[in-house]
Amino acid sequence: MDTQAILLTLRLATVTTLALMVIAIPLAGWLAFSASRMKPVVAAIAALPLVLPPTVLGYYLLVALGPTTLFGRGLAEMLGHPLAFSFEGLVVGSVLYSLPFAVQPMVAGFRNINPALLETAQLLGAKPSTIFRDIVLPLSRASLLTSALLSFTHTVGEFGVVLMLGGNIPGVTRTLSIALYDQTQDFNYAAANRTALLLVGISLATLMALYTLWFGSLNKNTSRAGSKLQRGGVRG
Amino acid sequence: MKRVALCVAILTMAATGAAQQVVRVAAAADLQPVLPTIAAGYEHATGVHVVASYASSSTLATQILNGAPMDLFLSADFGFAQKVIDGGRAEDAAPVKYATGRLVLWARKDSPVLGGRALTLEILNSPALHRLAIANAEHAPYGRAAMASLTTMHLTDAVKAKLVVAENIAQAAQFADSGNADAALISLTLASSDQLRKDGSFVAMPEGSYPAIVQGAVVIRGAESAKSARVFLNYLLSPAVQRELQVMGLGRP
Repeated sequence: MDTQAILLTLRLATVTTLALMVIAIPLAGWLAFSASRMKPVVAAIAALPLVLPPTVLGYYLLVALGPTTLFGRGLAEMLGHPLAFSFEGLVVGSVLYSLPFAVQPMVAGFRNINPALLETAQLLGAKPSTIFRDIVLPLSRASLLTSALLSFTHTVGEFGVVLMLGGNIPGVTRTLSIALYDQTQDFNYAAANRTALLLVGISLATLMALYTLWFGSLNKNTSRAGSKLQRGGVRG
Repeated sequence: MKRVALCVAILTMAATGAAQQVVRVAAAADLQPVLPTIAAGYEHATGVHVVASYASSSTLATQILNGAPMDLFLSADFGFAQKVIDGGRAEDAAPVKYATGRLVLWARKDSPVLGGRALTLEILNSPALHRLAIANAEHAPYGRAAMASLTTMHLTDAVKAKLVVAENIAQAAQFADSGNADAALISLTLASSDQLRKDGSFVAMPEGSYPAIVQGAVVIRGAESAKSARVFLNYLLSPAVQRELQVMGLGRP
């Protein structure tokens, strides 16, 4: 079993998920509460990786951010090496690739909060940042966890970007999905079987955690629906 | 109603499309700059349309063994063609030699490893070399040749940590042409393409530093156009086409 590929895949998924939480929370907050007319534009851009083939991302990261462009040269200067063929490169690729999977559950969660609570806090003089930190985030725990789990499992399943950008370096860019590809090419079906089964296992475990959470919070919401506090009703 | 009409139109188009003579060729990535020209000449002469799919020889062999609808397999070596024979998917009892490949070292003119000087094999030993792209030695015959050549030249230790492995030889060339790798070990066919001639230069790896890359072809057993595939393979072996192949970087079989 390719322990190096397993550890690398888990490390990539963990780092990507952490980075995505930092990036996606403010972005989702803005998408949920801003009144800006730019909202549809930003929402569309943030959702692009859902519909674009990963090869588009791979292409831009390899060529537009490669050492033949000014921006790519600056980036290489900063990192000490080009973005391609490095763990950092895969993190950048994965963050973009999994962005909608982090943003969308958060936006849904934030919008699902009873507006009366937010209005009350505002009337009592709380600053928007305080409301966001002390009311919105704690009430969206389930959505935040959903975002994290989806980002993690989606990154584990990443293939196209890694194939285009990775350079198949053991311990650096040779993830489980690439290892499986290689094993299939090498007619090593026994090893391919093990890797495929492992990927199914990781993904199934994460998704089961996700749905346990989801059905749990759904039951809670349903039982609360009758209470007087829930004037906004249950949405989504 | 409109939708039904559209479906009928698409089906009609698909049906007439299938009626045109087509040879489906699974071609090793080193043929990517070569085959379009040859295929265009063949189409002009015979009216038969050549549809090529490019990948590493191993990828193609795996696909064919798993039932990919191909008529002809042009491998970059003998081994993967033999695999298709062993798997019972070939008409031929042995691969048909159609060319020999040459391995070259290629770098962009502005590659930092050159420092403005002309490209020589010396750069393989240079500390300024950070990333050397090769094709996967397990799936791509040119990748295997690259590793063999580096071993013969006692460079394995020097470059081991610098290797970036591409899925096939075309991707290795792309890694270096996009500037992400400093240099690449690729096929002479790719190095002879217009794009790579414009962007960089190459030097041949010493002959004898790697086992000869003898490229083998097999016609796929039971293929729809197996007969046309055989005719196209014979066309490839004809003296005129062989001369054309030599200009584009392939040696005599």
